[in-house]
Amino acid sequence: MTGFRITDGIDRGTAFQFTCDGEAVTAYPGESIAAALMAAGHRRTRVSARSQMSRGLYCGMGVCWECIMVVDGKPAVRACMTPAEPGMKVQTQHGVGPGDGA
Amino acid sequence: MAGSVFVETPPRDAEIVVVGGGVAGMSTALFLARAGRDVVLLERGVPWGVASGANAGTLSLQVKRAEVLDLCKLSLDVWRRFGAEMDVDVGFGQPGGLRVATTDAEVAHLREYSDEQRGGGLEFEWLEGNQLRDMAPWLSTGVRAATFCSGDAYASPLLAGGSLIAAVAKAGGRIVGHAEVTGLSRENGAYRIETTKGATRAKILIITAGPWSGGLARMLGVALPIYVDVNMLSITESAPKLLDRVITHIGGILSLKQLPNGTILIGGGWQGRGRFAGMEKFADHVRLGQNLTTAVSVVPDLAKLRLVRTWAGYEAVAPDALPAFGRLPGTDDAYIAAAARGGFTFGPAQGLLMSEMILGQPPSTPIGRFDPARLLTGAHA
Amino acid sequence: MRETDLVIVGAGAAGLSAASEAAKHGLSVTVLDDNLLPGGQYFRRLPTSYRHTKETVFDKERARADALYATTGQKGVTYLNDAVVWEAPEDGVLAFARGADSGRIRAKLTIIASGAHDRPAPFPGWTLPGVVTAGGLQNLLKGQRVIPGRRAVVAGNGPLVLLVGATLARAGAELREVVEAAPILKRLAGSIADLLAMPKIVRQAADYRLAIMKSGAKLRTGWTVIEARGANELEEVVLAPIDEAGKVNRSRSRTVKADLLVVGFGLMPSIEMVRLMDCKLEWKPLRGGWVPVRGANFETSRPGVLAVGDGAGIGGVEMALREGKLAGVIAAERLGKLSRDQAASLKAPIQSEIAKVETFRRGLERLYAMPPAFLDLLTPETIVCRCEDVTAGELRARQDAGFGSTAALKGTTRTTMGRCQGRNCLRTLLALIAQASGQPIDQVMMPRPRLPARLVTIGDLLQEELPPIEMPKDPHLPRGEQVS
Repeated sequence: MTGFRITDGIDRGTAFQFTCDGEAVTAYPGESIAAALMAAGHRRTRVSARSQMSRGLYCGMGVCWECIMVVDGKPAVRACMTPAEPGMKVQTQHGVGPGDGA
Repeated sequence: MAGSVFVETPPRDAEIVVVGGGVAGMSTALFLARAGRDVVLLERGVPWGVASGANAGTLSLQVKRAEVLDLCKLSLDVWRRFGAEMDVDVGFGQPGGLRVATTDAEVAHLREYSDEQRGGGLEFEWLEGNQLRDMAPWLSTGVRAATFCSGDAYASPLLAGGSLIAAVAKAGGRIVGHAEVTGLSRENGAYRIETTKGATRAKILIITAGPWSGGLARMLGVALPIYVDVNMLSITESAPKLLDRVITHIGGILSLKQLPNGTILIGGGWQGRGRFAGMEKFADHVRLGQNLTTAVSVVPDLAKLRLVRTWAGYEAVAPDALPAFGRLPGTDDAYIAAAARGGFTFGPAQGLLMSEMILGQPPSTPIGRFDPARLLTGAHA
Repeated sequence: MRETDLVIVGAGAAGLSAASEAAKHGLSVTVLDDNLLPGGQYFRRLPTSYRHTKETVFDKERARADALYATTGQKGVTYLNDAVVWEAPEDGVLAFARGADSGRIRAKLTIIASGAHDRPAPFPGWTLPGVVTAGGLQNLLKGQRVIPGRRAVVAGNGPLVLLVGATLARAGAELREVVEAAPILKRLAGSIADLLAMPKIVRQAADYRLAIMKSGAKLRTGWTVIEARGANELEEVVLAPIDEAGKVNRSRSRTVKADLLVVGFGLMPSIEMVRLMDCKLEWKPLRGGWVPVRGANFETSRPGVLAVGDGAGIGGVEMALREGKLAGVIAAERLGKLSRDQAASLKAPIQSEIAKVETFRRGLERLYAMPPAFLDLLTPETIVCRCEDVTAGELRARQDAGFGSTAALKGTTRTTMGRCQGRNCLRTLLALIAQASGQPIDQVMMPRPRLPARLVTIGDLLQEELPPIEMPKDPHLPRGEQVS
């Protein structure tokens, strides 16, 4: 099961790709990392530090900090507030950073 | 659930009443209760609600003056034993500390200062150049030299509170919150203690009330001068390991440490604004900026982290910055442990030493120079 | 330091309306907003590189939205995006973080138009990926035209429930259930007279309902979500009837397979700036909880600081637009750009529209009023504080042990101390304390407001010039006041 883009009535321009945990993800200029990931069906953005629980986009407006991910090596970037860029390297955040497995 | 660790109102009688529920009072109550004595601790607000919960948790030997080094060593040992031997998790960590110097003058000052402390029996490593970079690659290149003291440590002010309170209760001590002392008097060879939650009587009275200690002593006719600093503290978001030592600064006001959850505490004693009356205290915008500037000048990568919270906490300090510790002059059985610069650090030692004093045991370290009689002003001087 | 006549915090419906009106009358206006694009939440803007190829059902607000966005280029308006206001260091001055452009701004008047966010309503499983807020869903739709799941359930209390249901139905999601906790159908007769003060919105709501029905989804009133389940992501949602006293009937619960659960239990005002400015607050549950006390002309208890829109009490977009516009007139009058008579004639029509919206609000509040029943849903494992992973069980155990105050619960569990600064847990914490102590929630002690109002990088804070550092001669000696 995945999320999806509404295409009716919108020309998004030319798609590009970035990676999330090594897998290619399609995005459009101006699209947030979170939106591109949702459309690709990737919903877990982080694993919480204390209880190792999966978390994902929740408030969608930058106040809850649940969608923080590691972006080009920088931890705690809010996926909902940050536009995707071509070639960006996005990783699921495990606790405070990329974690061992990533 | 075992029920509340607190008792609602003070008992009519107790052997020992401790006034003040911070680290000094809690430690005092813990050691006395564990020795089987009947202890009641009265706290005017929420126990652990003032300075003990609002400080940086720095337990640094090398920032201390030579005359309190022995006391500091003892206290760090008690902090360590809380977790290691007494099952009281206070979030103690002992990664060692670096005291940094960034200018020629500071390097000279650091040499002089560390020589003096060495004389007081403290072990140091002098680090500069590659040696310093190897140990702490995260330091700014502007740091010219540093002393490393392996004993420097920290505890968690948040964790320690809940743990010590629970330990006191488990040992049989009775803690009463929101019981503000409104009157102290001598009555039939005991102390009568009026509180907002009723009166109690005690054979022995111990004042561990930080900035309120002077007011309490005055109720017994003893005038002790006590000052209150308003120290600012800041904490960052949690981050991957950035620094792994406790940092202090010979020429700037600074303390830095990264806690196990990845957050970094930035303090040192920059003054906020506010007054003691009414407990109004705030961060000061300019001095916060100066505090953070100093921090970033030592650990540049701090600039990339987000600030989550800045707050201000009180610290009671005697005019000479030494602890006021011992029997209150002119009283039979009233004691004080308060007003040390670095009171969080010294609290556990003061608790242990106070219990030794009450129990008639020899002190673990000499305490004579901390006698509150040295501070007397006015008619009692 | 930057200088301006009027500084406005927030570029949403209220903030931009205020800016547009004030600039029209000759004020220099600076709008600070923490988003990349203007519009706030309701008028969230698509990336500017996206092109509309035709009008769809999602473009109905385009004209109003475009007019608001145009404010940012209006003469007299300086619009600073991606600017996080984090402190009010002195009267008339705000400090903001904006990368290398961080600094302070001094203004003759300040308008706080900080907007709102979803009220946290925890239930077991609410932290699973796939559970999103109503506001978040609408933002993804408006700002990105993306739906974050396929098989959807909507649950909550308030007008957003129908709106979100309709959004998902129209977007082509497999909408399964839309459940509104309040028995609104039963109550409609008693509210309709007031609601008809805004007939357009009533028609919209009917359209939303129709869209939901046409999608084949079940629309239930008097039902709520009681649990979300899944291993690492949402897999199913448990729904149950709830009565008007807030009692859930678990024996009639239903389980629905879903990969998207949108929850909307109302909004709460973002009050961090007014708190930091020490503005007096009052508890207005129907307006979202703690709101700034406002006198005539929207002024808070701090002179020169006005508060408008949802950030001053939830009133919805129609209220926010009009309060903003009115505040713009008020600012122009106060700063001498309009005479009293000129201002009065501009204010009158806006005030009469606001009166209509208020009538409508009253109807809406009667229609949707529900006791906050979520505490009954909490199991010991339910997360209350998302940032610090603190469960209801841990908090209740601490309460039982006597650590019942706000300060003690914070200190011993770290609840409210994470990155969200309590936005997603403080309300629940206060409710738990109120429940245990028997106090009304507005009597429960709020934590002291702390800097920064929102997270800012330390590097940004150091962009401003500071006076030289003066070191104390001996840092060991006391620096503060003598207290005995």
